Amino acid sequence: MANIAAKRIKREFKEVMKSEEVAGGAIKLELVNDSWTELKGQIAGPPDTPYEGGTFLLEIKVPETYPFNPPKIRFMTKIWHPNVSSVTGAICLDILKDQWAAALTLRTVLLSIQALLSAAEPNDPQDAVVAKQYRESPQLFNLTAKHWTNVYAGGPSSIFDFNQKVQLLIDMGIDEHQARVALSTYDWELERATEQLFS
Amino acid sequence: MSAESDMEYSDNDGDDYDYYGGQDDCDMETVDRSKADPEHFIFSCLKVEEVEKLLNESIELLSNSLQITPSLAKVMLHAYEWNAEEIINKYKENANDVLVFSHVKPRVPSIQGNSSRTVCAVCANTPPIHKYSALACGHYFCNDCWAMHFEVQIKQGVSNTIQCMAQDCEVLAPEDFVLSHVTKPALRERYQQFMFKDHVKSHPQLRFCPGPNCQWIYQAWVRVGARRVECLGCETLTCFSCGAPHHAPTDCATIRRWLTKCADDSETANYISAHTKDCPKCQICIEKNGGCNHMQCGACRYDFCWVCLGDWKSHGSEYYECSRYKEDPNLANDNQHAQAREALKKYLHYYERWENHARSLKLEEQTLANLKSRINQKVMAGEGTWIDWQYLWDAARLLKRCRYTLQYTYPYAYYMEVGPRKELFEYQQAQLEAEIENLSWKVERAETTDRGDLENQMDIAEKRRTTLLKDFLEFNTNNASSSKV
Ligand SMILES: [Zn+2]
Ligand SMILES: [Zn+2]
Ligand SMILES: [Zn+2]
Ligand SMILES: [Zn+2]
Ligand SMILES: [Zn+2]
Ligand SMILES: [Zn+2]
Repeated sequence: MANIAAKRIKREFKEVMKSEEVAGGAIKLELVNDSWTELKGQIAGPPDTPYEGGTFLLEIKVPETYPFNPPKIRFMTKIWHPNVSSVTGAICLDILKDQWAAALTLRTVLLSIQALLSAAEPNDPQDAVVAKQYRESPQLFNLTAKHWTNVYAGGPSSIFDFNQKVQLLIDMGIDEHQARVALSTYDWELERATEQLFS
Repeated sequence: MSAESDMEYSDNDGDDYDYYGGQDDCDMETVDRSKADPEHFIFSCLKVEEVEKLLNESIELLSNSLQITPSLAKVMLHAYEWNAEEIINKYKENANDVLVFSHVKPRVPSIQGNSSRTVCAVCANTPPIHKYSALACGHYFCNDCWAMHFEVQIKQGVSNTIQCMAQDCEVLAPEDFVLSHVTKPALRERYQQFMFKDHVKSHPQLRFCPGPNCQWIYQAWVRVGARRVECLGCETLTCFSCGAPHHAPTDCATIRRWLTKCADDSETANYISAHTKDCPKCQICIEKNGGCNHMQCGACRYDFCWVCLGDWKSHGSEYYECSRYKEDPNLANDNQHAQAREALKKYLHYYERWENHARSLKLEEQTLANLKSRINQKVMAGEGTWIDWQYLWDAARLLKRCRYTLQYTYPYAYYMEVGPRKELFEYQQAQLEAEIENLSWKVERAETTDRGDLENQMDIAEKRRTTLLKDFLEFNTNNASSSKV
């Protein structure tokens, strides 16, 4: 790994560790290996959002050309959000792409991702299905996001109706996550979700 | 078209091309024809050095009249699409606005305290104070970091739009600043190459020829509607407005839709692109080796149409029915499945004919090459001079031009709404198609065809072509006045 990249990451790691956000439990950063090329990030779901109470893990890969190129970051925890792919965890965020600046740090990036959970950008969607639900049925979107937070990120709100529908499909031999994706996609209409799964 | 330069008859080299890949005589008749051509479009075909000179003139003009460095002038011209006059006028009104809009200066003056000259915010090193530099925004970083930043950006193909390294800072690094930090000669050269390419792409009056490995650049003053330009180097026909292959009478948006559709549906459509077909009468396998769609079976002498396999006689000169797609009138009552099938059938109808004419065009180039060698043989054998056989050559080139237009009538027809206008279009298309096939048939059998007969056929085909274009080239009626100059 290039000299500058390693030096920068070490310094940023220290910066995050000393920050008030770590002290407050909002963000966390961990090393994955001792070559400083990969880290594990963690952000807390922001209050007053469907993600509240959840803990979200992030995979952070540091390129050779860091900080002149942005780090590659994706959600490892499954999440229902217009700007995050519900399949791959890829994030659509300008500062991770063309708006990256060499002077930005991991701390600002983690805080920006957390801010994205509070304020989605439905006009720049990463997941078209989620974005459509976000725009057209915001209440259903909120419930679905809460449900995912409960199941995958340890959030507090268990939604009985959704759990039951997922269980129904599991009983029909469908994989749990697949069932949840189909139901979430078809606004929790059991019939349409089943039709899609068996077509 | 290939080697035209080795044509023996070619005594007017200076004017040795026309829009459809042929050499043009300078007599009155030809001049009149190009004026009467509804596709006529004024453009020039420039070499890289000529374009460099042209761009430098704009840069010099701006840098002299505003008393700024050429490097800064480039940043501003790039932002204002090379409209030097507009920049000069706006600059007189409010220089700051122009500088901010071009990203030479920051929108709001940056807080100087933000940028330390003791520790570099990017690499965390602490070089001495003279080893820092900053753009107009005052964000100081160490020179090593600037160099690395530029290297990474240039390797990614960025040139005119390399931003400052500070967060949320949109200020762009001008050429002289970049070059003062980049020392590797290869990298400097790449930077300047990318910059040139970017300048051409951002210039509304310029367009690179899309031909493979082609270096020529078109210059024209109108960028709306189907606008035909032909490359001096590779003879590719391109639409200046959109950069797609030239596509009149189809408009730019429609041809993009059509080409995307064809790329998406190529799987379904592939089965029709066979090069051979069985004779509909005696079932013997016939290979299509000329461009003409009027086929004659070598075994049973049956005359048939390559496109629809129908009897050629039913394609009589009055109404060439084969080009028209007949929509099923009972369609509305049918279920979704049948509608999807009908949609595919409709698409295939147009696609088949589109593909077929594209193939005919390629085959006719072969015919053209054969014709050349046949004429050469005749001349060698003392059967007249090239001048005597010129009409044959002209006929083959005219055929190519007509067939090209015909090919591009199919996407147009596909997207047309059913109604009297579509009926008129398909009527004219059918007439053009019939005359083209007649011409193709005669060109392939040129030596036995009467010269007057052939010339008559040329006239008819070209008239059909121009009539169709005059009636249906959208910009002729709508956009001609609104085009930006
Ligand atoms: Zn530095
Ligand atoms: Zn700056
Ligand atoms: Zn070319
Ligand atoms: Zn076009
Ligand atoms: Zn036959
Ligand atoms: Zn036919």
